[in-house]
Amino acid sequence: MKHWTENDFKQWLYDLRDEDPHLEECGECRSEKDRLQMVRARMTGQPEISQDFLAAQRRNIYRRLYEPRRNWFTLRWALPVAMVLVMVFGLTLQRSRRPAANISDEQLFSDLTAIEQSAEPKAIAPMHKLFEE
Amino acid sequence: MGVMADRLGASLDTPVSTREFSCWMASEQKRIFLLCRRLLQDVDEADSASQDTFLKAWQALNRPGFNELEDAGRWLTRIAVNTCLDRLRSRRWQFWRKRPNPDDEKTILDLAAASDPNAEDRVLAAEISRRLESALSRLSLRQRASFTLRHYEDRSLAEIAEILDLDIGTVKVHLFRAIAKLREELHDLYFRN
Repeated sequence: MKHWTENDFKQWLYDLRDEDPHLEECGECRSEKDRLQMVRARMTGQPEISQDFLAAQRRNIYRRLYEPRRNWFTLRWALPVAMVLVMVFGLTLQRSRRPAANISDEQLFSDLTAIEQSAEPKAIAPMHKLFEE
Repeated sequence: MGVMADRLGASLDTPVSTREFSCWMASEQKRIFLLCRRLLQDVDEADSASQDTFLKAWQALNRPGFNELEDAGRWLTRIAVNTCLDRLRSRRWQFWRKRPNPDDEKTILDLAAASDPNAEDRVLAAEISRRLESALSRLSLRQRASFTLRHYEDRSLAEIAEILDLDIGTVKVHLFRAIAKLREELHDLYFRN
């Protein structure tokens, strides 16, 4: 049987490959397996962390444990309401800037009367234009 | 940790006292901080994420109707990993974030007091460890979480699947890809001689 490759060992170290009979039978592969286990144990050990840092972190945690919680959930409606208000304000502003039609009551009345008294529908007026010389 | 873990294993009929929680926190604090630091690669953020983790644990433990836990350590790990993944996801939008200053990290994290008597070997080992940790940033979030839990915490695939809420097959795929991406660093770590 072939010796285990670097890839085989890597996969075995990370639980992606099971041991097979070769690993037990072959002294070379077995000793490599033992060596890799030792390397892994040595290299993945936890580094030292400053005790002052950990103590400061604990103090912060204790402080936060008893701090009144900021409840952002109750303010969940604030953003949509603010957006609606901005939209309403914008629309109002836009409408107020639109120039009002400057037409007197008399003018409006005479226009409407002209439309009403016309015998032909207004839509055929362009066709009349075609035959005018 | 023992007392607290036993208490969590049994049904919690009385609220967890601050004293019990403090003892448990002190025993788990370093592990959780290192896990957060490896996932987030930033000491300040890891500090903040560790605090959030214990805060969430405390709030959950004192919530009425909190169920018993099979494994308090694994439960805490799950909270920490989810807290870090949430931060990493929100970090994607923070393109203006400053890179952490490596000197700041050095002041907090001392080199591991390895049992190897050879100082040169120790320095080399520390250098490879640092390279591997920084190479974790090349991995996707789930690949990073799967690899960190397997490599540094020695969690089984089943445990990783439970912590990340994935099936074992998916964890295997993430680990397989992570190992492929860290090929060089892992070669130097295990086979450099």
